[in-house]
Amino acid sequence: QTNLNLGSIDADPSLPVEVTAESLSVDQQTGEARFSGNVVIGQGDLRLAAAEVIVVYSEASGEIARLRASGGVTFVTPTEAAEAQAADYDLTAGTLTLTGEVLLTQGANALSANRMVVNLTTGTAQLDGQVRTVLAPQGTP
Amino acid sequence: CGFTPVYAPGGPGEVLRGQVAYATPATPAGYRLRARLEDRLGRNEGAPLGLTVTLEIADEATAIGADGAQTRFTLLGRAPWRLESRPDGAVIAEGVADAFTAYSATGSTVATEAAARDARDRLAVILADQIVTRLLALSPDLAAR
Amino acid sequence: QGTASLVADSVTVDAAGRLIAEGNVEAFYDGSRLSAARIVYDQAADRLSIDGPIFLQGPDGEIVTAERAELDPRLENGLLRGARLVLERQLQLTAGRIDRIDGRYSALTRTAATACQVCDGRAPLWEIRAAQVVHDEVERQLYFENATFLIRGVPVLWIPAMRLPDPTVERATGLLVPRIRTTDRLGLGIKLPYFVTLGPSRDLTLTPYLSRETTSVEARYREAWLSGEIEATGAVSRDSLRPGEVRGYLFADGEWRLAPGRTLTFGLEASSDPDYLTDYGISDRDRLTSFVGYAAVTADSLAEAHLAYHRTFREDEVDGALPPWEGRAAYERRMAAFGGTLTFGGAAEALLRTTDGTGDLARDVARAGAFAGWQRQAILPAGFVLSGGGSVELGFYRIADDPAFDRTVTRVTPAVQATLRWPLIARGTGGTAHLLEPLLAVAWSTNRGGAVPNEDSAVVEFDEGNLDALTRYPGEDAREDGARVAVGLSYTLIAADGTELGLTAGRIYRAEADTGFDLASGLNGLSSDWLLSARLDLPLGITARARTVFDDDLEFDKTEARLAWASPTVDLSATYVYLPVARSEGREESIAEWTVDGRWQVTPSWSLAAEGRYDLSDARPVTAGFGVGWRNECVEVDVSISRSYTSGEEQDPTTDFGLEVSLLGFSAEGVGAVPPGRCRN
Repeated sequence: QTNLNLGSIDADPSLPVEVTAESLSVDQQTGEARFSGNVVIGQGDLRLAAAEVIVVYSEASGEIARLRASGGVTFVTPTEAAEAQAADYDLTAGTLTLTGEVLLTQGANALSANRMVVNLTTGTAQLDGQVRTVLAPQGTP
Repeated sequence: CGFTPVYAPGGPGEVLRGQVAYATPATPAGYRLRARLEDRLGRNEGAPLGLTVTLEIADEATAIGADGAQTRFTLLGRAPWRLESRPDGAVIAEGVADAFTAYSATGSTVATEAAARDARDRLAVILADQIVTRLLALSPDLAAR
Repeated sequence: QGTASLVADSVTVDAAGRLIAEGNVEAFYDGSRLSAARIVYDQAADRLSIDGPIFLQGPDGEIVTAERAELDPRLENGLLRGARLVLERQLQLTAGRIDRIDGRYSALTRTAATACQVCDGRAPLWEIRAAQVVHDEVERQLYFENATFLIRGVPVLWIPAMRLPDPTVERATGLLVPRIRTTDRLGLGIKLPYFVTLGPSRDLTLTPYLSRETTSVEARYREAWLSGEIEATGAVSRDSLRPGEVRGYLFADGEWRLAPGRTLTFGLEASSDPDYLTDYGISDRDRLTSFVGYAAVTADSLAEAHLAYHRTFREDEVDGALPPWEGRAAYERRMAAFGGTLTFGGAAEALLRTTDGTGDLARDVARAGAFAGWQRQAILPAGFVLSGGGSVELGFYRIADDPAFDRTVTRVTPAVQATLRWPLIARGTGGTAHLLEPLLAVAWSTNRGGAVPNEDSAVVEFDEGNLDALTRYPGEDAREDGARVAVGLSYTLIAADGTELGLTAGRIYRAEADTGFDLASGLNGLSSDWLLSARLDLPLGITARARTVFDDDLEFDKTEARLAWASPTVDLSATYVYLPVARSEGREESIAEWTVDGRWQVTPSWSLAAEGRYDLSDARPVTAGFGVGWRNECVEVDVSISRSYTSGEEQDPTTDFGLEVSLLGFSAEGVGAVPPGRCRN
């Protein structure tokens, strides 16, 4: 069992992002695209599914700068799975903020909190609000 | 002055006489206590009332003479009892009979042994009489039940 | 392996993957609960480092508090700093450091252990400081090394190594609390009891008793089975009272319940010399009895048998004439017959005197007898209860070594009896019940056959237990003859609040005086003494009982009265006894004596106890005793003094001083008896 980096999410914000959804509407003034209906976002091994995702493009590079998912979000990577009511994935800052009954499971460990901020580049995480962690003892047979 | 016979015809005694089955300890004193209850309240195994009695007897040297001889012993008897209706076992009344008897230990060993046995049997009789008296006093309420 | 779970207000995960929980942090693992201000879980090193104030409660209740700690996630191994281990909420061990090993041992260094309340600025009443203490949770023992016992901070005793049970232990091998005993005859002495558990149902207590005058070892052995138990106590002594002699005693008794209603019992009493039992304060018994007994009882049958060997220490008696050997076997059965109750049975008795020669001091007697009786009850008009019946008894005697009696005697004793009762009831105000019951018992019996020695009926009592009996004689050797009438009246008041008063009066009239009765029994003469018995129960825990026998000119014979008061704080019992001279019973001088025995829990800590026995006829005390007890949450001190004034020729009065100090908090009994007071600062 590899040494899980507890609490951090194994994702690379620099990878390309594809988005599939049932419907899409674009708001010209704000430059935001609103995907709704079984939205699935893929980035490398990361999959993000939500009821509705708003994609914000950076004016400068025209690339996706931010993804704001809501209506029940699930997050899956090869090593972790996470759930929350809403998520704010800031690709430029490399941070992922999950809010509302956040539950993260990594192997046998599980963490729950009201709010969780993960810095994907440094691998650190900050959980607040009734944080509950269940730790499987290391090196158990 | 208001005294009426317990066993007068239609009196409260009918609810007791021959209407009680007994459960007493399987000891010699328990046997005597049961025999006395049967003599006074009659005997009926299938009775609607059940009387359960337990028995605690302790003995104590009462008079220690000048030369240290223990010349007198007192038997202290306590008999917690409980009257239940059968077969459901609902407790109707309960109480504790309490009495003492004594015997002298100045005679020969055989005389002292017989006196001690007789004191134990008399204690069982007195405790049984106390329980019967309490039941007779309760009989009007039993009859009204 | 259970999982460990962690709850906190906030958790951060740093770059090195360490999880830092802060704010009301609580960790749970397999029954252990830990709360702290901050916990860092280093997953790689599998280590919890915890900042206090730490509160750790183990699965079976022991509590550890500490300032800082390094533990594994299973809270089993690791190190706590500035820790306090509290066992059963009573015994506190504070330590500079506690090392937890395998979840079983807690090794405390620079420790102070006490069960007393710890207030800042004041040393506890007692404490034990030790370089190291190891608490073994499985064996539930505390092992002290290099320990010092302090009272109020003052070192009193240094103990290199010591083992004490922890408060959850009910039963463990080891030293019990030593007791100091001072008596005139044996001087200042100390008893050091050592308790040995021999498996779950046996134990042995060895108590060396050392003083200037004696070196002796007392022992008590107990064993219990599912259906029986045995206990033996004994001692071996060499003392200055009887130099050059090995003295001692052995008491043993046992009981086995062979089947429901069937018990086998045995008793053994032996002592090396007459004074040993009183010299060592073991018992007042002045006759020793060893016996084997059997009883089988069912709802309507009774079988009893016993064989006994007696010895006497009374100055005016000789073992051989007691009689030393006596045995009895008896059977009785009751059954319903002809609308009444048939009672029948038989008995065989024998006694053997070992003194040679003839007459009263050498006679041997064997008797076999059978009896049958039938009685029936009827309710007469107006509520009279008549019970009548008859009985016959046969007895065959073999009498040896006494020319005054034939060698074999046969006796027949027919008897008839009728008893009339008239129970009357009245209901007073407030639910008070009054019960009045007159009694009339008429009996006639006659004795056909030769004279027999009166061995088993020499001592006769007259009370409300045999007022309406066929005979007052306890045994079979003596029989009341001719016609007699017992009259009696009993009144009972039962109040709703639990107050109860019972009075019984009675008297027996005879056609011809029965010479067998002694004056003292109150039964002699054509009309017996008056019997009066009273009973009073009051709701506040007071019970009084009295019984007396007095003749027409109000000269009292046997009289006995008892008073008892039991309340949550007071436990008092007092008795009065008056016994007139009764030569046939062997009482040469009258006895008038009262005794008092009381214990008063004055405050939850202080208790007083007193007991005394005063002989009115000689106007001097027989025994007197006084005790003061003090206890708080961690220590119990009992000081007692008792003096016995009985003085045989060689025995002069003895005074016993007792001092017993026991530390609470080690072993289960005495735990938390008195709540600790508040700190005064």
